[in-house]
Amino acid sequence: MKQVRGGVKAWLIGLALVLVAGLTWWGTAGHKASRLIVIITPSLDNPFFGQEAAGAEERAHELGYDTLKFSHGDDAFKQSELIDTAIARNAAAIILDNAGAEASVAAVQKARNAGISVLLIDREIAARGVASAQIVSNNYQGAMQGALALAQAMGGKGPYVELVGKESDTNATVRSRGFHEVLDQYRGLVPIARQSANWSQSEAFTRMQSILQAHPEVKGVIAGNDTMAMGALAALQGAGRSDVPVVGFDGSNDMRDAIRRGQAVATVLQPAWHQARYAVDLADRQLRTGSTGQAEKLIMDCVLVTRDNAARVADFALQPAAQSAAAH
Amino acid sequence: MSANVKDQVVNGNGAMAIMLRFRTLLALALVLAIFSVLAPNFLTVANAMIMLKHIAIVAILAIGMTFVILTGGIDLSVGSIAGLSGMVAGALILDGLPLTALGYVIYPSIPLVVVLVVALGAALGLINGVLVSRLKVAPFIATLGTLYMARGAALLLSNGATFPNLSGNPALGNQGFGWLGAGVVLGVPVPVWLLAVLAVGAAAVAGATTFGRRVYAVGGSERAALLSGVRVDRIKCAVYAISGATAALVGLLVASDLVAAHPASGEAFELNGIAAVVLGGASLAGGRGTIGGTLVGACVIGVLGDGMVMVGISEFWQMVIKGAVIVAAVVLDRLQERLG
Repeated sequence: MKQVRGGVKAWLIGLALVLVAGLTWWGTAGHKASRLIVIITPSLDNPFFGQEAAGAEERAHELGYDTLKFSHGDDAFKQSELIDTAIARNAAAIILDNAGAEASVAAVQKARNAGISVLLIDREIAARGVASAQIVSNNYQGAMQGALALAQAMGGKGPYVELVGKESDTNATVRSRGFHEVLDQYRGLVPIARQSANWSQSEAFTRMQSILQAHPEVKGVIAGNDTMAMGALAALQGAGRSDVPVVGFDGSNDMRDAIRRGQAVATVLQPAWHQARYAVDLADRQLRTGSTGQAEKLIMDCVLVTRDNAARVADFALQPAAQSAAAH
Repeated sequence: MSANVKDQVVNGNGAMAIMLRFRTLLALALVLAIFSVLAPNFLTVANAMIMLKHIAIVAILAIGMTFVILTGGIDLSVGSIAGLSGMVAGALILDGLPLTALGYVIYPSIPLVVVLVVALGAALGLINGVLVSRLKVAPFIATLGTLYMARGAALLLSNGATFPNLSGNPALGNQGFGWLGAGVVLGVPVPVWLLAVLAVGAAAVAGATTFGRRVYAVGGSERAALLSGVRVDRIKCAVYAISGATAALVGLLVASDLVAAHPASGEAFELNGIAAVVLGGASLAGGRGTIGGTLVGACVIGVLGDGMVMVGISEFWQMVIKGAVIVAAVVLDRLQERLG
């Protein structure tokens, strides 16, 4: 056994040496005013979050900040580690689309304690006075507009299906309530199925296929986001049911194209791009003046996208109409 | 005892062999050197403490995993057990322990919560051990099964919701949960102290006790161990129980750090744990590896992960680089074996 123990000892001594070497090497980095903005979103390969990150990054560069972009993959612990790293990098501000209303509070507090302001976009956290700003889309107002578009497309009557997002996510609940605020007013509209597809395209696809088997009489589909709407659309087309109107939420390029092709009826554009840029503006104002000059919670209205204005939607932003541009 | 023989052979093999022998340590030194040049604020006490805290999460898990891998097994369920453990801790703090028969609800104090949850982790590990040793289920399959069951149980416990604000209630006397993950003693985070204690204890157990010798023996040759009177079943049950207990501890640390328990937390932790053990020079076939090696392996994973984030390397490249480092480690391992 001596050899084995010797091996352990060698490793431990080696480890200690490396640590000591590291310690002696420790520089005392001067604390000059940081020009770094860290941008953390749920993922970088999803177009919505990707545009969010891109919008924030672009604005930060315009204002002369350095940026780092990360994603937490909806894992609150990964998010906490990323915030640790942002603190270690001595970031000036963090723009965050968080990984869960409850599970993110401690991490945001940690950054605040380290003197870094955190500006939340897209999703709220379950605490006030911790973040410098919480800029969210008016999901309720947007959902009502989408529901109205579906009701009109269905002529105010017929059975419809609702696909809900991840149920632990506040946005899923708020959007669903907004949908029902409008749809429940129509006596002719009958909800025949309400299923969660966890924001996922493939889940929405399989769920919709099963629902079509059980309820071939369906006359309309409303989904809590565009990825689920696209999944439902694929299932409907596979079943030769191009007569069923579909409404989504987010305003993605995929959905825009489906609307322009006449396959889908409408979606609700969340101003992700502008929201992220606005968050950087507020961060900049806070860094310069000590205050964002705004209330903590800020709500931005959503815009209904139909065939009329779909051509002007790109990367989660609505370009101004040609006439209004000409008028200036 | 193949570890003995190998050490002797390799020790007598010149500079190349020594480099190979300490390849993970060299890799760690290299990674530290690269990032201290590239990443601003990398070489600061504050950042070192943050990195050590992140390393502790991987390393504590990997210590338990080392014992399992030394017997030639694998434990895929640790991430889920960590997630479930955090959720159980959350439920105990917020909702207490309902004794329905007596009509009471007991709110355990935080030390008791820790003991209960770690015991639960060990019990779940023991189920893995029984499946593997008595029922002869392949470890990969047995622990894949418990991975799903534990994750499902974590989601069922709260119906998918998060247990928020676990700071406790003064009236119930169960405050202080946050100290475990976020506390600092003498300038060093509590998880790092825990890791230090566990590492010394585990290295002593693996290197200097009869149990440790038997673990190596089972992994070296199960049949030989059996023939020489080692109760292989018991050893296997014990190593999976250890792995379950360390996983539960990690779950507690994560939930404590967030002051909230999320049912999806701990996903893919098992992969980091296995990677740390393999980087540390353990053989997945069993019988070879050390706790010290695993610690260095965990340091490489942790420093690499944090360093790449600090430099701002694209998320997608981070995955490529991490994968390449793991593969390179195994290739060098093969090389060392051939030299030996």
